[in-house]
Amino acid sequence: MAAAAAGNGTPREEEGPSGEAAAPPPQAPTSVPGARLSRLPLARVKALVKADPDVTLAGQEAIFILARAAELFVETIAKDAYCCAQQGKRKTLQRRDLDNAIEAVDEFAFLEGTLD
Amino acid sequence: MASSSGNDDDLTIPRAAINKMIKETLPNVRVANDARELVVNCCTEFIHLISSEANEICNKSEKKTISPEHVIQALESLGFGSYISEVKEVLQECKTVALKRRKASSRLENLGIPEEELLRQQQELFAKARQQQAELAQQEWLQMQQAAQQAQLAAATASASNQAGSSQDEEDDDDI
Repeated sequence: MAAAAAGNGTPREEEGPSGEAAAPPPQAPTSVPGARLSRLPLARVKALVKADPDVTLAGQEAIFILARAAELFVETIAKDAYCCAQQGKRKTLQRRDLDNAIEAVDEFAFLEGTLD
Repeated sequence: MASSSGNDDDLTIPRAAINKMIKETLPNVRVANDARELVVNCCTEFIHLISSEANEICNKSEKKTISPEHVIQALESLGFGSYISEVKEVLQECKTVALKRRKASSRLENLGIPEEELLRQQQELFAKARQQQAELAQQEWLQMQQAAQQAQLAAATASASNQAGSSQDEEDDDDI
């Protein structure tokens, strides 16, 4: 089945998460073999979207792709932060690495409010 | 889990999901707890950011429901255009799945069995199942009875042979 690449130190450049999951959320595209399953619980993503008082309705597919985008975001920011850690010759990712990553990337400017 | 406080603003993506993603992105890398916490919050903020922008785009488009297209435009306008190609793959899969589901349900309809007949078959199956259950229960009851009888018999013969043994001893004595 899906070979576990994790733990080998091989660069994960080819694809995103492989399609394996224990209990898939009811609406996610899971019946297609090898389907990319969102790592984020879709119900929670939907709840977050609806928490915005201005939002009236969001379609299911829109939620799916938003969840996928959020996954990509986490991957990106984690990798960026790791680069900072490596520059500091550390093996443990620390909060300041994330802070640095946030300050370094223009698109992450919206996050400056979350830094306490 | 489900928040009972009713305050929607405390919602975040569950920590476990974030941890899993971090682990897959950076295998063999230790991550401090407060760093993880920050990622959780950033992810939540990201979702708010994109959905808010998508909502504005949606409002301008005279549509009532936020569509995938709105989300894609939001990603583009906020500088996350590099995510778009991967995000579109998800969209493709959604459509494929939806298509398959529609095909499957139409295949089912085309079996030609009307609903009343299906219902009748279902009742039959239920009745059969009930009968089997009843038979099984009865069998078990019989087996229990048999086992009990055998146990009684065994106990009876045991005590009988004990008695026979002791009377034999007496005869021996007499012979001597």
